[in-house]
This record gives sequence, C-alpha cells and structure tokens, in this order.
Amino acid sequence: MKMLMILAWRNLWRNKRRTIITVASVFFAVLLAICSESFQRGSYEMMIDNMVKYSTGYLKVQDVMYHDEPSIDNSLLYDDALQSALKPYAESIDYLVPRIQGFTLVANDETTRGALLIGMNPDSEVQFNDFRENIVAGDYLESGDQSVLISSGLARVLNAEVGDTLVFISQGFQGASAAGLFPVKGIVRIRVPEMDRATILMPLAAAQWFFQADERLTSLIVMPNNPADTERLANAMAKGLDAEWFRLLTWKELLADFLKLMAFDVAANKVFLYILYMIIAFGIYGTVLTMMVERTKELAMIISVGMKRSQLAVVCVIEMVLMTLLGVIAGALAAFPVVYYFHHNPIQLSGELANVMIDYGFEPVMPFSMSAINFLSQVYVVSVISLLVSIYPVYKVYSMKVVESSKL
Amino acid sequence: MTKVIRTENLTKVYNHTVVPVHALGGVDLEVEKGEFTAIIGPSGSGKTTLLNMIGGLDHPTSGRVFVGDTEMTALKESKLIDFRLRNIGFVFQSYNLIPVLTAKENISFIMLLQKRSKEEMEARAIQLLQEVGLTDKADVRPQKLSGGQQQRVAVARALASRPQFVLADEPTANLDTQSAFNLLDIMQKLNEEEHITLLFSTHDQRVIDRARRVIKLVDGKIASDERR
Repeated sequence: MKMLMILAWRNLWRNKRRTIITVASVFFAVLLAICSESFQRGSYEMMIDNMVKYSTGYLKVQDVMYHDEPSIDNSLLYDDALQSALKPYAESIDYLVPRIQGFTLVANDETTRGALLIGMNPDSEVQFNDFRENIVAGDYLESGDQSVLISSGLARVLNAEVGDTLVFISQGFQGASAAGLFPVKGIVRIRVPEMDRATILMPLAAAQWFFQADERLTSLIVMPNNPADTERLANAMAKGLDAEWFRLLTWKELLADFLKLMAFDVAANKVFLYILYMIIAFGIYGTVLTMMVERTKELAMIISVGMKRSQLAVVCVIEMVLMTLLGVIAGALAAFPVVYYFHHNPIQLSGELANVMIDYGFEPVMPFSMSAINFLSQVYVVSVISLLVSIYPVYKVYSMKVVESSKL
Repeated sequence: MTKVIRTENLTKVYNHTVVPVHALGGVDLEVEKGEFTAIIGPSGSGKTTLLNMIGGLDHPTSGRVFVGDTEMTALKESKLIDFRLRNIGFVFQSYNLIPVLTAKENISFIMLLQKRSKEEMEARAIQLLQEVGLTDKADVRPQKLSGGQQQRVAVARALASRPQFVLADEPTANLDTQSAFNLLDIMQKLNEEEHITLLFSTHDQRVIDRARRVIKLVDGKIASDERR
C-alpha cells in the first residue's frame, strides 16, 4: 500500500501546474460553498434563535384549541393537576416560562394604539430572554408590580415616558371586559423590531387580573436542559398530558411556516451549490481525462510487467482522492477564519435591505454559522464527486487492452 | 536440456481491417534454458506478435503456449498476470520505466509486487544495479538518465524477479552504438554466467551477431532456425 501511495503522490506532481490548477478549483469552490452555506445557515439560526427566545420557546404547552384559535378564551388552567403532570420531567426541564397574552388597546392622552400585552413572570423571563438587559429607561419589573414595561418603539409612538400612566382596554376571559390603568415602570428595547413597535410586558398576576383569568395561561413555555433533546422530551411529556385538554408544540411546529420558507430558500441556495459542484466535477474530470490519455502507454506497460489491474486502479483512485482532499482541506482551512470572523462580527446590513429585514421582524444583521456541518457537508459532497470521477480511470484501467495501448 | 518455452501451432489473426491479417500462421517453437535467441525478420513478419503471445500479453487465435509445464494460454487473466510477474521479464524498445520512480525503485517495484521482503529487495536491487553498472544512478529518476542507461535499468528490472526468461522487443532500436554494445555486453554476460534465457526480437545486426540462435520469421511463419 505504501508503494501505491508513493506512486499516486508522485504522479500527482508530475505536472505541477495542472495539479495546482485542479486543486485551486476545488479550493475556491469549497471556500465559496462553505461561506455561502455558513452565511445562509447563520442567518436562519439567528432568526430561529430570536423567535424561539422571544416568542415560542423550544416547547410550548397550550390549551388544545389555542394554536388554531389564539384567544384568552382558549387559555389553559395552570393548576396543581397540570403542575403535578409536569413533575416527572423536572430533571429534563431547565425552567418554565408561564405567559398569558392578548391584544389590547393602549392609550394616553395623546394617542391610542393596539399592542400585544404579555403577562409574564419577571424572574423566569430573565432566564428566557434579555428584556432586563435591554431596559433603556426606568427599571425592570418585579412579580408584585402593578405597572408595565413598554417597548421602545411603542414608547416613541405613544410619546410615553417612565412614570406616565397608560389606559388599557381589551376583552378578558369569556367575554369579560378588561380595563385598567397602569404606570410605565420602564422602557425596553426588544431586538425583534416588529415586536419592539407594539409590546407591553406586565407581571403575570397583574395580567391575569386584567384579563380576569385567574390561574390561566395562554402558554407555558418549557425550556429543556438540552435544546437538542426537545423532541424526546416532547414525546415523553405528550404521554403524561391529557390530549383532550392540552396540546404540546415544539419550536419546529410553532415555526412551521417560517421553516417552510427557509427550506425553499435553502433549496435555491442548493442550486447555486450544485452549479459549484458541477464546476468542481468537470474540473477534476478534465484533469483525469488528460492524465489518462497521457499515461495510457505507461499504464499498459505497468500491467505488462505484472501489476494487477486492481492495484493500478487503486493508484488512480488515490490520486483523485489526494487531489480532491488537498483542495477540500485547503478550502476548509481558508474558510474557517472567514466564518469565525463573521460569526463574531456579523455583517451589519443597511439601507433598503436592512429595512426589508426589519419589516420582516428580524435584526438587520447577517452572522455566519460556525456549525461543523457546514464544513463536513462540503467535504462529504466533494469526496463523493471525487469518487464518482474516479470511476473513469478505474474503468479505463480495467478495460485497457495492453498490447494495443502499449503501441500508442 | 530443460525446455523453458514451447509453442504449438500458434496462430494470430487480426480482424481490425476489412481483410483479416494473419500475423502468425502456425508457429511451433521450443526454447531451452540458457539460450540467447534472436527472432529476426522484416517489419510485419510477426516478431512482436510472437513475443506478445509468449509473454502472455495477447491471446492467440489458436494454438498453445507453454512456459515450463504450465500452459499459459489456459490461464485466466488474474492468474496470468501473477504468472507473468513471477516467470517472465520484459524489456521494451522504449524502456518504459515508471517515470516517477528512481532507478532503484523501478527495479524494486517488481519485487514489491511479488511481496518480497524489504531486505531482499534492497540487496537484489543493489546487486542488479552493480551488474548493469549503474550503482551511482540508484536514486536518479529515468528522465535524468540517458537512453542507454534507462535501458540498462529496464534490463535490471526485468531480471529483478528472477524470471525463467526475458523477452526483449527491439531493445537496442533506440540506442546509439556505444550504448547498444554496453547493453549487449551486459545481457551476454548475464546469459553466460547466470544462464538467463533471453529471447529478442530485433532488426539490429549487432544483436544478431551476439545471438547463439537466430530464428527468422517471414509472413508469420518460421522461415529458418539457425543455432550457432
């Protein structure tokens, strides 16, 4: 085997320029493919992360009707029975985030706006998101407060400041009227721009009082110890919850529409990648073709003197694999610092593109993903291409007519 | 004397063209151990075809080839390659060394295919390099050797596996006079001292003069067979 490796390696450098050009084509294709994949995956990871952290959580327990008909009327009763039903999974659960939310009209003496009112437990929300870190004026909420945090975008619209009192009017549980006056304790900047324009945060007890929905929640977000374990935890919990009353939704179900859109976009990117892969494949194939034509007589002679065709085929395959590996490894090594830099220093979008992002409710930044799969998938695909291209020399070696080929 | 090569009614017909070409027309030949034989004849007389059949590089249309007691024409491809590796040495007109291997590696290559030990390969390669007078070129690649030197390495390679016989197809055709004489001296010495059986196809009078048996082929048939 050592001799086969030596033969393959030296054959590779018989025509340095050709090998370098082929390796370079693989190198640039891999570099481009990794960056493109990492860029796309990074953007989606950020979007999913934002949505999971600010909105859906990894796992959500809701009333069986709420997902299809989100209304306070379809809230669940967070009583001892439900808490007991969740106890067996306590080891897999990091923490729970109880919420009650509904739409409300909020007004001051100047203007009225519609907003999303989220009743939440200030302590568990601290673990769930960064509302407390993003207070831009005033203070964060405490459980017993009868006051609210308003998002910075809404504060601008209402021209409201800390200490102002706002009027809330909505519809409570089972048609009860909901109304109240709440002072603004603080203003919070929410990273998802769409939410930042119209969100009010209120302590859970105060919100339950406001909606006249004691002990009721519209959702109970479950944050697992290991997010990768979400599906397994969901399956286990589903067995312990009465399906007649409760529905368990994973983040994939909660973000189903977004994930479909993402899958479509990923498919479009794949087309671009396939074109790259085609370029790689034809680049390598061109080299192989030339190499085989140049060496036909030599290969015939090697078979003549006693080398088995299988051994010669292995030499040809090793040459292909070495050439490809050189390009792939160099491409991956070159891509790593690029991906690392843009992972920690996301591209800040500006202008029209940034506005589009903001309109869709996302932060206008484009981070790169550091996921190992970005690198490994390229190595895998290019290796498969290399092996496919290797079929040609293997076929040529096995079908070679020694006498005729040695006359060339 | 031991018969190393025997052919029985060997024929070869090429059907590549509209009119079939009868390259060999029933050749019966016996070569004994230690013979230095030259096969001569005009171009197209079937010299190379005969060597290819004896070397197992091509299949006859009919007839049989025996090497020792083995009917080589009955062997399947995989066994034939192995048989060739262990029993036949080849020297080609255009040397055909592996360009990415040094002179010593080219010689060792055959032994490596035979799975010989490293020590044995090393010793045999050095011995053969000495015999062909190229000890100082052991680590040089073929493109940096002259034509004569390359052909001497090719002879050493052919002998590396200690074959029953060596087939040489026009080995001096590309060499200048001095290189040709050097090569023939070496081959003659190996034949006389180590009783290596040599079978040449050639046009070269210098080779014919050294041969102890000369077989003349005309139109694929043996026209004369002269022992000296």
